[in-house]
Amino acid sequence: MLPKITVDEGKCTDPLSCRKCLLICPTHVLGLGTKVGPKKFQEIPRDKFRVAGVRLEKCTVCLDCVKVCPNGAIQVSFNGGVAK
Amino acid sequence: MCIWCEKYAQGYERWYFNPANYARKLYKIRKEEAETSLEAVPQAAGGMSLLRQEFLEAWEKKDYAAMEKMKQEAEQLSWATHFGQVVTLEDTLKVIDMIYPIAIMTCLCRRSMLGLPDEENFTCIGMGAGMYKWERWPNNYRGGVQFLTPEEAKDIVTRLNKRGLVQTLFTFGTPYIGGICNCDYPDCSAIRSTLDYGIRTLVKGHHVARIDRELCNGCASCIHRCQFKALSFSASQQKAYVDQFQCFGCGLCVTECPQDAITLVERASLPALANVW
Repeated sequence: MLPKITVDEGKCTDPLSCRKCLLICPTHVLGLGTKVGPKKFQEIPRDKFRVAGVRLEKCTVCLDCVKVCPNGAIQVSFNGGVAK
Repeated sequence: MCIWCEKYAQGYERWYFNPANYARKLYKIRKEEAETSLEAVPQAAGGMSLLRQEFLEAWEKKDYAAMEKMKQEAEQLSWATHFGQVVTLEDTLKVIDMIYPIAIMTCLCRRSMLGLPDEENFTCIGMGAGMYKWERWPNNYRGGVQFLTPEEAKDIVTRLNKRGLVQTLFTFGTPYIGGICNCDYPDCSAIRSTLDYGIRTLVKGHHVARIDRELCNGCASCIHRCQFKALSFSASQQKAYVDQFQCFGCGLCVTECPQDAITLVERASLPALANVW
């Protein structure tokens, strides 16, 4: 069973500036994507970035990302329940 | 023999020494359909551009046959369009002498995995006439590029090698080589796809490291240089140990060894390794 990481985009508004979760993850599971689709290398407004669990098979459910998020935007689920 | 050399070397010692492989047509009719890129889909961020949600779903269901099929398709797609080969610093410097223009830009992998700002992230080298597009259409190419003289490019690559980053040559529409990447695990998506999923978007180079056990003094300063999990430390012998089947032949351990105990040997000189890419 793979963990699931959900990020509340209403609470996570500028991940490119914050990036606390990206840097704390011990196995580099999280990645940055955008909400605006393909833009090649074009400039994308900062509020259009989003964080997502990418390499979920490396997630140990340590919850460091949940704890470090200043806005409480991240939730990790494992085996069907929210990990606490 | 390296399958790319077989197809594309055309008499040169290696395929990446053949100047024709740097001469992709600059102009083409722009495709109308949506293009995909690393920043396009969240799932594609951080080096998942080759494998999407279906792969993780198959993983959950332990559907190994489906996973294997997706991996093979991803590898074939990457070999046809955008893949890399590990090169030694020496070969990288030779390539820099062959090709012009050369420019440096932000690394998309580390931008998507770490959100690194450009001032810490100009580690990707682009080569060839395609670089003029960045100059001509700055709105399309965020962050821009900085053109380099060959001497500046060599200096940068040498410093990045010293820092511990692996030099790799990447194709943009195989066999056209357009980039010298300077990669490390776990943030380079090619190394990660290759090591973690067995999708060889980065193939091994033309060399293999060999440790002289007489010369090795067990200082272990080479161990942390390996980005490919090929180097370890033998506790019983108190010497460095290299798994030559896992070695990508980048030479980072060689340049760090104070005893000159590690050398690079030609992959082709070892019959059982000659076709291990």
